[in-house]
Amino acid sequence: MARTIVYRSLYAVLLLIAASFLVFYGMRLAPGDVAEVLASHPTGQMTVERIREDLGLNRPVFVQYGTYMRELLSGNLGVSLVTGEPISEILRTSASYTLRLAVLAFLLSIGLAIPLGALAAWKRNSLFDQGTMLIAVIGMGIPNFFLAVLLIQLFTVRLGWLPVAGYETPKHIIMPALVLAAEALAINLRVVRSSVLEELGRDYVRTLKAKGLSNRRILWLHVLRNSLPPVIALAGIMMRTLLGYTLIVETIFRWPGLGYQLVNAVLKRDYTVAQTLAILLTAAVIIFNALADLLQQWADPRTRGKAGA
Amino acid sequence: MTAFDSSSLPPEAPIEAVVAVAPGLTWGERLAPFLANKLAVLGAFLTFFFLVVACIGAAIMFVPGWSDLYIDQRLRETLLRPLSPGFPLGTDQFGRDMMWRIAAGTAVSLFTGLAVTIISMFFGMILGALAGYAGGIVDRVISAFIDLVWGFPVILVAVIFVGALKPGLTAVILAISVVNWAGFARIVRAQVISLKERAFIEAARALGVPSWKIIVRHLVPNMLGTSLVMASYYIAVTVIAEAGLAFIGLGAQPPTPSLGQMISEGRNFLYVNPWVAILPGMTIALIVLGLNTLGDGLRDIFDPHLRRS
Repeated sequence: MARTIVYRSLYAVLLLIAASFLVFYGMRLAPGDVAEVLASHPTGQMTVERIREDLGLNRPVFVQYGTYMRELLSGNLGVSLVTGEPISEILRTSASYTLRLAVLAFLLSIGLAIPLGALAAWKRNSLFDQGTMLIAVIGMGIPNFFLAVLLIQLFTVRLGWLPVAGYETPKHIIMPALVLAAEALAINLRVVRSSVLEELGRDYVRTLKAKGLSNRRILWLHVLRNSLPPVIALAGIMMRTLLGYTLIVETIFRWPGLGYQLVNAVLKRDYTVAQTLAILLTAAVIIFNALADLLQQWADPRTRGKAGA
Repeated sequence: MTAFDSSSLPPEAPIEAVVAVAPGLTWGERLAPFLANKLAVLGAFLTFFFLVVACIGAAIMFVPGWSDLYIDQRLRETLLRPLSPGFPLGTDQFGRDMMWRIAAGTAVSLFTGLAVTIISMFFGMILGALAGYAGGIVDRVISAFIDLVWGFPVILVAVIFVGALKPGLTAVILAISVVNWAGFARIVRAQVISLKERAFIEAARALGVPSWKIIVRHLVPNMLGTSLVMASYYIAVTVIAEAGLAFIGLGAQPPTPSLGQMISEGRNFLYVNPWVAILPGMTIALIVLGLNTLGDGLRDIFDPHLRRS
């Protein structure tokens, strides 16, 4: 396992370098002269020459990349070209918002899926089972942005319970977290249900029943524990998917996290912020991928030794 | 059911006979599992229905004079509810006819889905077949590329592309293709690796048939079924991604109609007439439902071993 971790980490570092260069180079291809676009921005006070000098746009792209990464790694992130705010400041506040939202959605998807999925399997073909699977079908079939509109229509327009968007009160996080969790919850429900069903058919369950253990003990103590590896294996992939969806969900609900800031920076052509956030989110995805691989191997020893294939 | 798989054919069967996906079966026998699956028939019906809608939508977008149908604003008749006289699906905030706007939006959605899927299938099949067939260093290089992009959140890639280009369909199509080709390539690579060990490929090689001819005449026809199944899923994924990007303002820009953009604009009028957001959302949900259930049915025909759990 230790060798696998080292191998997979080295591979992730290689991917990180390649991906960050691609993103960096991609942003350099932006249409028009970035410096001129920026200088013509109504809130910007810098001249074309000053911006070129600041960004080092007159040097070769590899040199620019090297300089940029050195600054990035030493924590010197520069300032937003639109608002002049330090990027490290933007990053600090928005990362905490994204973390709060993503962790809540992740816990929601796992915390609801495990008991509900296990119960659905236990009461197979009951009304409860069918209801749970209906939730799963809806969660997987309705695009998250449309689910958001439906929830707003219900909870804000009809019932008036929840605010439509923003971040000021604890109530504001409820709808974004639900929307972000929906698809992961639906997938986890199905995985837990089918995994528990599979375990219920095994010999040891019959043995435990013969020993006189209560059904409740068998399900929650023995079967559930053995059914979890597929859920754990999926967790890494879930984190990566959630991260991608934050771009849409945060924008819909104007939740000031990393995704919202990145989309906004791209729309306002706030070049430095967009570039830094894009590279950091890309890095997060690559790290989650590596984690997903390792989790998969830890949860299912049969796949060990096939790292990074 | 194994009769659909060429591996069940006697090894002495002539090479040419193995090329067909389901040798010795009439179309009736081939379609039987499809027709028995009620959901698949529903999927085929929905997909056909929306293809017709998309053709009508494309016609009103491109036939000179017809575009008035979805562009004309009637400021005295804004936000009419569905089933209003003269407007079966109502009107939007500018008094534009929702029915024609949804038709045009469906055309844009399905066009994007098809364009992305054709591009990614083309590159995915070529690179996947090359990697699987050639093996060695070629395989390692291509596989590294597949690893780099596969499973990357499409939305994040699209946001980066929009940052590098500008908001619009071109950036969206390129971005989704850049991720989706890897999905095809993975499957095709795995299939080629297993196919090339088969007797009929070895026989062809022993007979001195050139590699390119083996790939074109024997490998590609054997992979068409799976690719068709994957294509229907990938079109669905693309339709959702395109709508999501349009929803947050990074996709198709007005006046190009887009279902995602219609939902996003309709969000502001939920108190007056929620249908302006709900109808385009339902359209997307139904298109996706149709494609996914059609894909499930096709898989039962071409790939009986690969049923979803």
